[in-house]
Amino acid sequence: MGRYITQRLVYMVITMFLIATFTFFLMKFLPGTPLSSADRLSEEQQAIVLAKYGLDEPIPVQYFNYMVNLLQGDMGVSFQFDNREVTTIILDRIGPSLQLGFQAMIIGTILGMLLGLISAIYHNGVLDYGSTFTAVLGQSIPSFVFAGILQYFVGVKLGWFPVALWGTWQHTVLPTIALAIFPLAIAARFMRTEMLEVMGSDYITTARAKGVNKFGVVFKHGVRNALIPLITVLGPLAIGLMTGTLVIENIFAVPGIGEQFVKSINTNDYPIIMGTTLFFAVFFILIVLVIDLLYGVIDPRIRLAEGE
Amino acid sequence: MKKANWFLLVLLLALGMFLAACSGGDSDGGSEEAEGSGDGEDTEESSGGDSEQILNITDTAEIPTMDSSMATDAVAFQWLGSTTDGLYRLDLDANPEPGIAEDHEESEDGLTWTFNLREDATWSNGDPVTAHDFVYAWQRAVNPDTGSEYGPYMMSGVIENAEAIAAGDAEVEDLGVEATDDYTLEVSLEKPTPYFESLTAFGTFLPLNEEFVEEHGEDYALEADTLLSNGPFKFEEWGSEGWKLVKNEDYWDADNVQLEEINVDVVKETSAAVNLYETDEIDRVGLSSEFVDEYRSSEEFRVEEEPTLFYLKMNQENEILGNVNARKAIQKVIDRQAMVDTILNNGSLPGVGDIPQNFAMHPETEEDFREINGDLIETNVEEAQELWETAKEELDIEEAELGYLGGDTEVAQQMDAYIKDQLEQLDGLTVNVQSVPFQERLDRDTEMDYDLQNSGWGPDYVDPNTFLNMWVTDGGNNKTGYSSEEYDALIEEANDELALEPVDRFENFLEAEKLLIEEDAVIAPLYQRAAAQLWKPYVKDVGVNPMGPDYTYKYAHIDGKE
Repeated sequence: MGRYITQRLVYMVITMFLIATFTFFLMKFLPGTPLSSADRLSEEQQAIVLAKYGLDEPIPVQYFNYMVNLLQGDMGVSFQFDNREVTTIILDRIGPSLQLGFQAMIIGTILGMLLGLISAIYHNGVLDYGSTFTAVLGQSIPSFVFAGILQYFVGVKLGWFPVALWGTWQHTVLPTIALAIFPLAIAARFMRTEMLEVMGSDYITTARAKGVNKFGVVFKHGVRNALIPLITVLGPLAIGLMTGTLVIENIFAVPGIGEQFVKSINTNDYPIIMGTTLFFAVFFILIVLVIDLLYGVIDPRIRLAEGE
Repeated sequence: MKKANWFLLVLLLALGMFLAACSGGDSDGGSEEAEGSGDGEDTEESSGGDSEQILNITDTAEIPTMDSSMATDAVAFQWLGSTTDGLYRLDLDANPEPGIAEDHEESEDGLTWTFNLREDATWSNGDPVTAHDFVYAWQRAVNPDTGSEYGPYMMSGVIENAEAIAAGDAEVEDLGVEATDDYTLEVSLEKPTPYFESLTAFGTFLPLNEEFVEEHGEDYALEADTLLSNGPFKFEEWGSEGWKLVKNEDYWDADNVQLEEINVDVVKETSAAVNLYETDEIDRVGLSSEFVDEYRSSEEFRVEEEPTLFYLKMNQENEILGNVNARKAIQKVIDRQAMVDTILNNGSLPGVGDIPQNFAMHPETEEDFREINGDLIETNVEEAQELWETAKEELDIEEAELGYLGGDTEVAQQMDAYIKDQLEQLDGLTVNVQSVPFQERLDRDTEMDYDLQNSGWGPDYVDPNTFLNMWVTDGGNNKTGYSSEEYDALIEEANDELALEPVDRFENFLEAEKLLIEEDAVIAPLYQRAAAQLWKPYVKDVGVNPMGPDYTYKYAHIDGKE
């Protein structure tokens, strides 16, 4: 297994290099400059400021300089936040995004799986229809609509939780719920479909014939087999949630990374665009690795590499 | 084997917990502030009668920088203005009042300004504020090594040698600013600049404590504790979620500052801010147009005029737009009143010229520039149609097609669709709207790669010149191809021979505006922006400014909050 992980990490470095290269050159196609008052400065004045940041060099030279600095662990300083280190900006903002994403994933997945299980066990019953309805609703209502409703009714009208802003755990409740709805719906639907399929297979009948009771079969044999496809779907979803969601962060005024990424593109803040892209890429690759490792844990039939 | 796998699972779970713990740590850090403000509310309730002097507000963006040399945007200028006094500062009515300077003398030729500084002003580290702090700050702002945008922009052509220094052609020490002693600052101007007093209140001209700035080097002004204040308030906390200012007890005029605390949270979504206002978490909220109808009748509703103008730029290199009658037709065909009422719906005023309302006053009669020149265009579809027919005859065409460069925000797109509709009332005109991001619009403006363009301008100083100067031949922001000797002469005269004759100078600007809008129809004014807001009734005496810091909080106080 150690060898497998090493191999994957080597691939990761190569992937990162490619991503950095592509992003760098694509980013230079963005119209405009990182200057915040380009409309006020004469072209000569603009050129002087750009030269100060090395942006007057040919793009391949800029690329070379950037990569050399990157290898030394220096991601540069931001343009919109003058002089502030890219790493500081990302680290300052990733915390809230990670926390919300993580909470939403845990809550959404667990509740969703329960809902899916109930549906499968009481197939075609009232509970099944009820939870299927919930899942469809959760998947089709956009999260910002749901967030707005939560904010207004639970926050303003009932006053149970803070309306917006960041600080205590209470502040995380509403955005977490708003974010959890989608993974909940997905988990419920997959769990239901997979469980129905698994429960119809021969080895379940065998287990039942051997006298294992209904719930024993469901949990011991059913759930475990239904998890594989679920993890495949939820993995990328988790990454999306944890790297920050622009809409939810804006609605609840969460100081997260999602908005920063979009803003950096709009303002041509090259170092931040590169920094966040690379950060997301590392995060993505690591999570995919974790998911692959999880497969092996859940289903012993899946082997990671020869000799394992 | 199986055991090993379970071990792995446990490991992953542990990793998960670790991640959660990490982010938990972050939120703990933030929670201090939230608890702090929570406590504040509790004590407010218990103290009853006397209101706590705490102002809670939001901003729509984070502070990009607190380094006055680097500041370029409204948020930075706002909080620089609240924490730092320049030579002058803006009072409750947005007029300059003494700050670090007690008074000043102008030489007869208007080229030398001598400021006498007060001796009781100190920085929050105890150092006195001296004339050297201004010299250092201004030199730093124009120094090309600083990479400042506003330094060269604001000082070039105003302070002696600024332009050459910014271009790297002169030494920084040659800048026309000198400390003749610790408390006397002598400024040499490039040419007489009647609005120089208002400039000294602007963010780029604020003083800097050299020793402190150099000591912190690249970390200067990045955190609350690498900042110095010499103004009414100072930073206590500053993070990405918001910031907290407290009264600066060592401020020279601390006796006149009543607010003890200003809490600012970053809230980008209007609906979130409105909900926070409804739950009394914040004392002020800016309304977007969809909220205006709901609150218009509220007693807390206020409309604040801004001196920012929006207009259509018409590229005269385009064959059709090179025709003055075609341009006049475009000016006249747009119903601006309906546009501000239905699309903007926030109190914005229909555009009628190139100088905003309540911006520039006649030096003697105090009459508003806008009142004197009046509405330079009136919507009249029939007249527009006639002008358009004349233009078509002159150009010998039946049909015309024009590109239209607009913004990519929701409101911009609605407005551009409306304007397209209005313009196409002209017989045979087709308008193709292109919605592009701001950066691309700037690029295409620079290259004059457009026919019609929805554009805007906010003032840099309180003087008509900031709006009118840009339309001179080959002006950096002209980019319409407009070139008129008569217009150039009016503007040049105003800034040269008439610089010390305020009344004649004002007349020149009046004439120039008429020429620009009425005769030459260079731009088609659209609207003057306003902001609809809700203010809690217990917030008193917040000054609203046309430029520089949007608000003056120095004299603000909370009165009658339950």
